[in-house]
Amino acid sequence: MAMAVAAVGAAVAMAGTLRQSAVAPLRVKAVVPAVRFRGAVKLGVGTRASVAGAVKAEESGSGSGSLRDQAEASFSLSKDVAGPDFFILDLAEKLENSVEAEQQGETLGSRALANLRDRSAEKALNSRWPTSKDEAYRFTDVRFLKNLDISPTPTHSVATPDFASGLGLDETETFRLVFVDGVISESLSKVDGLADGAYVGSICKISAENAGSSLSQALEHLGKPAAGTQDDLFTFLNGLGVQDAGVIFAPEGVHIAKPIHVVYYSTGRGGSKHGEEGGTAISLASPRLLVVAETGARVEIIEQFVGAPDQTYWTNTVCEIHIADGAEVSHSCSQEQDRGSVHIKQTQVSQGEKSTYKLVEAEIGGRLSRHNLQVIQLGPETQTEFSTFSLSSQRQVQDLHSRLVLNHPRGISRQLHKCIVTHRSGQAVFDGNVKVNRYAQQTDAGQLSRSLLLAQGATVNVKPNLQIIADDVKCTHGAAISDLEEDQLFYFQARGIDALTARSALVFSFAADVLQSLGNDSLQKRLEGLVKSSLASDGVVNPNVPVGL
Amino acid sequence: MASCSSCCQHVATPGVGGFAAASRRETRAAGVQVVGAGRLQLKKGAVCGEELFRGQSLQGLQRRVRRSGGSVAVSANALAAQLQEERAEKPSEARVILEVQGLRAVVADTRQEILNGVDLVIREGEVHAIMGKNGSGKSTLSKVLVGHPDYEVTGGTAMFKGENLFDKEPEERSHCGLFLSFQSPVEIPGVSNMDFLRMACNARRKARSLEELGPLEFYGFVAEKLGALNMDPKFLDRNVNEGFSGGEKKRNEILQLSVLEADMAILDEIDSGLDIDALRDVATAVVGLKKENNAILMITHYQRLLDYITPTYVHIMEEGRIVKTGDMSLASQLEAGGYNAVQNLIAKN
Repeated sequence: MAMAVAAVGAAVAMAGTLRQSAVAPLRVKAVVPAVRFRGAVKLGVGTRASVAGAVKAEESGSGSGSLRDQAEASFSLSKDVAGPDFFILDLAEKLENSVEAEQQGETLGSRALANLRDRSAEKALNSRWPTSKDEAYRFTDVRFLKNLDISPTPTHSVATPDFASGLGLDETETFRLVFVDGVISESLSKVDGLADGAYVGSICKISAENAGSSLSQALEHLGKPAAGTQDDLFTFLNGLGVQDAGVIFAPEGVHIAKPIHVVYYSTGRGGSKHGEEGGTAISLASPRLLVVAETGARVEIIEQFVGAPDQTYWTNTVCEIHIADGAEVSHSCSQEQDRGSVHIKQTQVSQGEKSTYKLVEAEIGGRLSRHNLQVIQLGPETQTEFSTFSLSSQRQVQDLHSRLVLNHPRGISRQLHKCIVTHRSGQAVFDGNVKVNRYAQQTDAGQLSRSLLLAQGATVNVKPNLQIIADDVKCTHGAAISDLEEDQLFYFQARGIDALTARSALVFSFAADVLQSLGNDSLQKRLEGLVKSSLASDGVVNPNVPVGL
Repeated sequence: MASCSSCCQHVATPGVGGFAAASRRETRAAGVQVVGAGRLQLKKGAVCGEELFRGQSLQGLQRRVRRSGGSVAVSANALAAQLQEERAEKPSEARVILEVQGLRAVVADTRQEILNGVDLVIREGEVHAIMGKNGSGKSTLSKVLVGHPDYEVTGGTAMFKGENLFDKEPEERSHCGLFLSFQSPVEIPGVSNMDFLRMACNARRKARSLEELGPLEFYGFVAEKLGALNMDPKFLDRNVNEGFSGGEKKRNEILQLSVLEADMAILDEIDSGLDIDALRDVATAVVGLKKENNAILMITHYQRLLDYITPTYVHIMEEGRIVKTGDMSLASQLEAGGYNAVQNLIAKN
């Protein structure tokens, strides 16, 4: 039944787009260069004229959403007019089948989820698998996924794995929301003692009867990011295969007392063992989190991605965060999944007037870890801070694509991205876009990217890019790809610390600089330990150097 | 030139002190040709002059002497004054800690010469101050002594407690007890002061074959130092110099000096960027660390610091050389009339 629906949906969608391109070939031609132009401008700090031109293209798109959809759909087909991407079709079918009938319940939340699946199906089928010819995936190879045998992780209840004790966070100091393979585990989650009106839990448990009007309204945000958020195939695949979604809701003026610790655990059931001969099976989980902080609310979220050791799994996750006027969301994210796993994540944030969003992230696990982080400003005087760190060791690709769009005056943003590559087969990618549009006067935006390459042949692709239309702004950006700083090394030596020890301390401190911004001491200690042991096993630091911990 | 000849007599007199002894040693060393011009002029008139020139191109020397002009004689005067005073005030038993002779150095990248023959002798218990215009080479001298990689030594020697500094790596110089308080200490995000101090302390202890201190023992050790310097223990939890105010950075340098228990501290503009109270605190801390068997070399622009830490000698540096040496009165002259007044004084002599 589900399969038939999918097929029909696909046919309709394809017919739709094909007809558009056939009837109006001129439009396709006109649109394609504009889209390409946008890509080209981002390559560097372009001249003023070209930047302005790019925005014009953007504005005409955002003026009417459907037009832009059409344009992008047409664009995506321009190289592949032959027909739909059968790989996506096949995957979409598997994902659709994986949603069990009983999960398609009739609560308010379940309906919202079903609705999301429908919308996502259409969009996913209109997309094409990204290749290196797409600007967003220019440096990041996701084609290898097409050679794997992807299957959604079966969610039939099996014995819940016992991992809670190994998370490094004390369960008394946080509320805990646990996903196992994309489905919230009631038994592992602990959310007792929440403030009145606040909600932390599964979307499926929200019904019209038990939800207040504000919580019901909050569900409207599901799968509807702010205008200007860029689409990505993997967002749609998540929406298509989503089985359950976590909801964190803080009503007006409520400060949630303890951080909310969201754990994503992938069992990798159905996937090959890591390193298994000829094993190409990969098990896909699609967890999703919706965070809504109403006016003046304050929430702290700690996301932690973990998984079964030596399993091959893919966590394709989406986190949507809506921050209303004057609200504050502090977000920590720790990705420590298995080295054989794939981790693709979308974080879509919208920020109202005078709101604050702070993200501290450490990406150290995974064979491929891709994070698309987008923040759209919906009102003036917002504060946005990103502090991110990634560690790429042997055969690891760590990719952060961040995008901050400022449309209103007096926004303040600070971004620090640091990455270390410790092996010649390791790669780090950073694309940091800050867009200061015409009305975003008196914006104060700072961005700094620092990369440390510690092995011959290690790769980093860094693309910091500021697009500034407003003329009264303060924007800084810097990108350094280097070895350690001579001045710092000398400072150690001048104090009697030999060069090798000094290097160890400095490499570790390069990472610790970001990890120290984590609001949670236990998580910080845990990550410092993980980073240190990884650096030590790659031989780039001496584990006996008494720094940190 | 009367004072010059008197000086020469001191030099020629055996056993006057480490200075003379060292110059004899130097004479025998192969590196004579790099001895600075000022010093050569000083010795040229001396009894032992000919011996000094052995193995060296006389023409080259004369050329250099000519080039250096009038200030050479003044340099000789300065050294004479220093020596005379030493004889009057300090009997010869005070050990020499640092002895710099004819030090020349260039910027490693550009080959630009910064130090142009520096002579300096510092003994235990002494406090020396170097003053001079911006760009005269004061900070370079301090960095060269501790082995900063931006500079390359092209001539001269520096003996620290009888060992050649230039044979040692920067960390080994620190292990010997040489300490530089940086003019603008670098920030090290991600490394806490506590960890940094413990690494530094243990590195020196290890070099001296002492047992390394564990975290708890070290805390006891450093807490005492903090108390003596009147500093907040919270200092230890912060990252090295990260987000520190100017005053905090300088205090942190003094804390490191205290933890390392160095024998000789070079304080490069320890007074820059400090308000009046902070300067008093930092200076008081330095005075508290002063002992009979250690020494201080201060680099400063202002007399105010010298009012707190009274120097035994004040040197004036110009174009990479020490051109005049005197006592506190020299600093007062500078303060009153600026460098021009002092230059006029030099020219008159």
